[in-house]
Amino acid sequence: MDIKDFIAPFAVWKRAFEKPFTVKKPIDERPGAPRYRGFHMNDADACVGCGTCEAICMNNAIDLVPAAGREAKDGDSGLRPRIDYGRCCWCALCVDICPSGSLSMSNEYVWIDRDPDVFRYVPGVEAKPWDGSALGYRRAEGYRLLDEDRVPMPELGHAEAVASFLELVRGYSRAQAEKEADRCVSCGLCIASCPAHMDIPGYIKAVRDGDMDEGLRLLYETNPFPEACGRVCTHRCEEACSIGSGGDPVAIRWLKRYIADQVELSDYAKALPRGAAPSGKKVAIVGAGPGGLSAAYYLSMQGHAVTVFEAEEAAGGMLRYGIPEYRLPYPALDKDIGYIESLGVSISRGVSIGKDIELSKLRTDFDAVYLSTGLPVAYGLEVPGEDHPRVLDGVAVLARATRGEELGLGGRVAVIGGGNVAMDAARTALRHGATVDILYRRREEDMPADADEVREAKAEGARLVEKAIPLEVRDAPDAAGEAALFIWNEATMVQKEPGKRPVPEPIPGAVREGRYDSIIAAIGQGPDLSFIAESDGVPVKRFRPVVDSFGMATRAAGGAPVFAGGDLVNDRKDAISAIADGHRAAIGIDRLLYGKGA
Amino acid sequence: MNELAKELAGRYGARGWHDIRKDLASVEVDAIRIRDVMAYLRDEAGYGHLSFMTAIDNIERGAFTLSYALRDHDARRGLIVHADVDRAEPTVDSIHLLWGQAWTYQREMREWFGIDFPGSPRVDEEFVLEGWEGPPMMRRDFDSLAYSDATYAERPGRVTHDPASHMREKLYPEAAQ
Ligand SMILES: Cc1cc2nc3c(=O)[nH]c(=O)nc-3n(C[C@H](O)[C@H](O)[C@H](O)COP(=O)(O)OP(=O)(O)OC[C@H]3O[C@@H](n4cnc5c(N)ncnc54)[C@H](O)[C@@H]3O)c2cc1C
Ligand code: SF4
Repeated sequence: MDIKDFIAPFAVWKRAFEKPFTVKKPIDERPGAPRYRGFHMNDADACVGCGTCEAICMNNAIDLVPAAGREAKDGDSGLRPRIDYGRCCWCALCVDICPSGSLSMSNEYVWIDRDPDVFRYVPGVEAKPWDGSALGYRRAEGYRLLDEDRVPMPELGHAEAVASFLELVRGYSRAQAEKEADRCVSCGLCIASCPAHMDIPGYIKAVRDGDMDEGLRLLYETNPFPEACGRVCTHRCEEACSIGSGGDPVAIRWLKRYIADQVELSDYAKALPRGAAPSGKKVAIVGAGPGGLSAAYYLSMQGHAVTVFEAEEAAGGMLRYGIPEYRLPYPALDKDIGYIESLGVSISRGVSIGKDIELSKLRTDFDAVYLSTGLPVAYGLEVPGEDHPRVLDGVAVLARATRGEELGLGGRVAVIGGGNVAMDAARTALRHGATVDILYRRREEDMPADADEVREAKAEGARLVEKAIPLEVRDAPDAAGEAALFIWNEATMVQKEPGKRPVPEPIPGAVREGRYDSIIAAIGQGPDLSFIAESDGVPVKRFRPVVDSFGMATRAAGGAPVFAGGDLVNDRKDAISAIADGHRAAIGIDRLLYGKGA
Repeated sequence: MNELAKELAGRYGARGWHDIRKDLASVEVDAIRIRDVMAYLRDEAGYGHLSFMTAIDNIERGAFTLSYALRDHDARRGLIVHADVDRAEPTVDSIHLLWGQAWTYQREMREWFGIDFPGSPRVDEEFVLEGWEGPPMMRRDFDSLAYSDATYAERPGRVTHDPASHMREKLYPEAAQ
């Protein structure tokens, strides 16, 4: 051994008393860099529980779990992501993809514990010291893995649109539809919000895969009106879409239309399932609107012989006689109805139940009856002069337009109301060359009509008069019944009860009037229950048949059970709810006929 | 700068000179010329410092792109040299004789991407992944989920919920029948 080996340690010790070359820096605090990817944070109120983080995580580090105090509701699953740090590799893909932008990371990375199970928690729900930290990883401004913008829908220009009854919305091309379908993350949050609970992620995937037969099959599982709904559905699903939490929601309605538009009616039978063998049971349906025909479709798939009685000359209900053709062209509606009839459903057109045939007779001749008669009676203006000859009913005007009759509206038209019927009547009058005022008792934002419909009506030239409370209709001077004065009171919105919507209060003295050739009342519609006799045993409360969860109104002795649904019964009063009611009733009737539900 | 671009192009076939900022540029060369280019930049062009080396997996075009970040401290400017190497046979000349610290980076790239630098000291030793037996994990075709499923035990108590089924159960259970 060398002598140096003995001396070396002392040589080092000698240095211990010299001034060090290095800088002393305490090591008790080691903050992460400002954009360090540390433990996750989640804004649990902004999060919608779509699970896109779970789907993208390459390490299976995320579970979606029910979060205390959060219930499932429209557009929110009530679930929240739980991160397992035994698996997370801190890649931040979950943060980058998060549709709502609720997920982020703190720059905290030191956490010591003896219990390995604590390293798995629900950020934003289980409190952590780094919650609310301003530092850490955020998705960079403008950096998106998901496309926030919807593929624009080709539409007619407004000038061109009012000049004709051509369909406004032209539909997606294949490339456009596939691009739009690509925006869907298949979370399925939308399904609960659809009254028919359609398999939306399923049919959107079919668009992505270019498999139209599969798409059509999925549509018909819950909705035999894809052409109509693909155009006019109230699309509540889109309000629930998780992509909508940080951008435009996926154009679910247009993708539904795209599928139905791609398949020729003559090819439907190849794509869709066959009905069951004949059951020998007969079902009568009153009303060939979407609700009645939806019941007819599912009943005939179950093998029952279905006869639909329809008072009008053509089937389709309000889809045909209410909704104008520029929104829903007749060939598209005919295609939906044509397929249902091709299955052997018989539609007796021009037969009114209560007039031509009694309901009691249907109860004797058939094994079950389904009522889907809708709301045919228009509410009046309920002001003096409401029966002036120039006061017209909105739905009747639209029905005459459908029949191709001369409307004779004249040059100046007032439409009273703020719902979809009002917008359809106004836009129909515009297409007949009139100048149109829409008068509504509340503000634009209070209108029950689709915001799109209101926007379109205005863009096409209708003038909106808000906060107008109808007072009276009078004969216009020197008009001899050919024109009328509409008199209204300007209102101001008053918040009467906190949390409730404000109500219009007339401003004293602020009375206005306008001279119009026609005043179209579009205030709302009610049912006509005159065809139901006491002896039919159908319970009625507040002008509605009372039904159970399958839509059954009565099993009273003396005839077949009676079911009811659609606008006649439900609160939503749109096509898809009527369709869902029809499907549900078909299931209920089938169970009853086979004794399953007895 | 443009003088240097021309010089590098003439001598080594360099191309794609790109001024990222006033004081930072990048340029591409063939991997086969890398040692010559580096020696020239260090000894003739003033880039005396190798700041770092890394690689990018450009799987779409079947290449790893090596990136050498150099710095000229006197002129206060930087240059990044890119060189593509065939992803199927990734072997590149070592530059550890030009810059001593290069072997550390090369060992890292050997472990993370599977790029070989023959002759680089300890290049085959483990770098940070102790006991790693999988394929190089920075390769983009490395399936980290399949790897962790096969390698690690699932921690007990994990359970997840599908949003759509959970919502059906909570909001419209009747449809489940
Ligand atoms: C102008 C207008 C626009 C609308 N826009 C939309 C929209 O954009 N989107 C949307 O989702 N919904 C819209 N709706 C609502 C939608 O049309 C209805 O919710 C839907 O048609 C209801 O279907 P249903 O089967 O319950 O009744 P209906 O469609 O009203 O069908 C009832 C059928 O029963 C027949 N009938 C009635 N009584 C008898 C009897 N005694 N004997 C024989 N037959 C009878 C009627 O002739 C009618 O054909 C609109 C409605 C109107 C009026
Ligand atoms: S950071 Fe990466 S590994 Fe961790 S939970 Fe998010 S996606 Fe998964």
